[in-house]
Amino acid sequence: MIKAKLDWLTQNVSAIVKEQFEFRELLLQMTLRDLILRYKQTVLGFGWAVCTPLLNMIVFSVIFTRVAPLHTDIPYPIYAYTGLLPWNFFASSLKFSAISLTRNANLVTKVYFPREIFPFASILVGLVDFAIASTVLMALMMYYRVAVTWTILFLPVVILVQMAFTAGVALLLAMSNLFYRDVQYVSDVGISIWMFATSVVYPIEKIHGNLAAVLKLNPMNPIIDAYRAVLLRGELPPANTFIVVAMISIVVFAAGSIVFHCAEFRFAERI
Amino acid sequence: MFRRGERHDTLRDLLPSLGRRLLQRQKDKAHCREDFCALKDVSFEVRPGEALGIIGPNGAGKSTILKLLTRILKPTRGHCEVHGRVGALIELTAGFHPDLTGRENVYLQGAIMGMKRTEIDRKFSEIVDFSGVGGFIDTQVKRYSSGMNARLGFSMAAYLEPEVLVIDEILAVGDLAFQQKAFDRINEIGRREIPIVVVSHQLGRIASLCSHAILLQGGAIQRFGSPSECIATYVERQPSCVLSPSTVCSLLLRSIHANAQDPVISGEPVSFVVECSVSGDSRNDSEEITVRVRSMETGQILFAIGNYALGMELPRSGSFALTVELQMNVPPGLYLVETLIQDRMRGQLLVTGPQTSVQVSKGRIFRGTVQMNGQMQVLGRENYVTVHANRLN
Repeated sequence: MIKAKLDWLTQNVSAIVKEQFEFRELLLQMTLRDLILRYKQTVLGFGWAVCTPLLNMIVFSVIFTRVAPLHTDIPYPIYAYTGLLPWNFFASSLKFSAISLTRNANLVTKVYFPREIFPFASILVGLVDFAIASTVLMALMMYYRVAVTWTILFLPVVILVQMAFTAGVALLLAMSNLFYRDVQYVSDVGISIWMFATSVVYPIEKIHGNLAAVLKLNPMNPIIDAYRAVLLRGELPPANTFIVVAMISIVVFAAGSIVFHCAEFRFAERI
Repeated sequence: MFRRGERHDTLRDLLPSLGRRLLQRQKDKAHCREDFCALKDVSFEVRPGEALGIIGPNGAGKSTILKLLTRILKPTRGHCEVHGRVGALIELTAGFHPDLTGRENVYLQGAIMGMKRTEIDRKFSEIVDFSGVGGFIDTQVKRYSSGMNARLGFSMAAYLEPEVLVIDEILAVGDLAFQQKAFDRINEIGRREIPIVVVSHQLGRIASLCSHAILLQGGAIQRFGSPSECIATYVERQPSCVLSPSTVCSLLLRSIHANAQDPVISGEPVSFVVECSVSGDSRNDSEEITVRVRSMETGQILFAIGNYALGMELPRSGSFALTVELQMNVPPGLYLVETLIQDRMRGQLLVTGPQTSVQVSKGRIFRGTVQMNGQMQVLGRENYVTVHANRLN
């Protein structure tokens, strides 16, 4: 019984991976298409990728340095920006992934190719935005004289872990939104609330008691903290929590992929 | 198997309906949801070098078969296997986005169809030339006419080099010249020994392109055999239709069949027998029975003849049969012979009656629409001078 399930699992997983590899060029083309479409006919073009986290940072800086001052060991603006940058990547990837299938309904019902390409393309577009907005981070790091240490080599690992987690959630959201159209609105609200449950703009460690125990379950917390540790503090993230988060990300990704793949053939009917 | 009726598309609708269902357990759920079988017991196999045509009325399930072949839908029962790269000439501009330029869309659509970037690079100029889009390739597609869009989409599909070809009604794209180019291209691909499946309402095209055919009706195979067999069955099963509900005809057309060996040779006469009857007590004098011949290839009406034009009186009552003799001076191909009742006073069509199809095969070799029994002769020098002199007068 277990063996049959395992066989089915390996068969499906290898089929999924093989197909994704076969259509890798299409993923690139879709990403290019989404990028071009997002910024074509806009005045600032790619500059918009910088504006959102920058403006957010400015607003939060004003709030948490003037209105309700917060003490952080690192200067607040760069503290906030280092949290906002990966958070924006997470949030915008999820937001665009949720609607990716329904927005491309004509392709889903008319042509065959693995549907994962739609949410994955949204994530890759988010990654491009992330890369562009990180130029501001570099500027901030120079301004606040933050030293770049060897720990920056660990950055790609943190990014990969975040991408795995994002991809898993994105696949589940895209699929759910296809079946029930109000998932996109629920997820928008959900992601906003989630941001405040993560130490993006304020340190969550300051909270004690029962709430803290609940917030500890949030996988995005260790990820955001890892970014800060690696970039600003020159230290590696705490091993035990980070490894747990990495495993959770892989499980979420695997589960999301398999569920998506199994439900895929119903998409054309149900869209 | 599809579901009829309304499905819950949002959580907002689902939760109350779940609640309702829990409360009313005895309520008959069947009245709001029905399972609807789009295809039943449809099995076929197409081998390399074979071309299968699928014909049938609207709603027969033809598009569902194509969706199963292109893996958009999965069969509820049974299985569907396709080996090789599928070239689907179905929705040619599905991936086109209006804000992208023609060039960007070619690369995108190519990737969607499974072409590698290097392959598209190689074939790019040929694709653009075939489509006739020319210098507009770098303009945004939203500024293209619908014809340009369709031609560009078709050109891409034409250069796909698939291992399996699936075509759905896209042969009616562009002007006549482009249509001919498109058809030639498909023929050329067909000669490459790959399996082809075609769905079309252009019965003449199916007859010339396909080696076998399926007549699909109501989700089941009604006939499987050669294209002309299936077309004949399809055509003969067309119901008579009265063109306006208020029409009351005293004449009834029952059937038509050809009284000749099959196939007919071009240039030879064929006689048809039309069985008719008069309903009621007497026949309305203004009603005329017309027999019309139409090309299945082009849909063009080639010839029509009615009993009144021939000065023939029909019996006043009872059942009778008409024989119609036609000289088939037409090129080889498939032709539709229709029967009609017309109001000769007002020149109005009242009823379209039973139809039959005729396969005409090669007789004296000629090209064109009508056999004009052309003759050619070479004139010697002396005769040529005389002719010339005659002309000058």
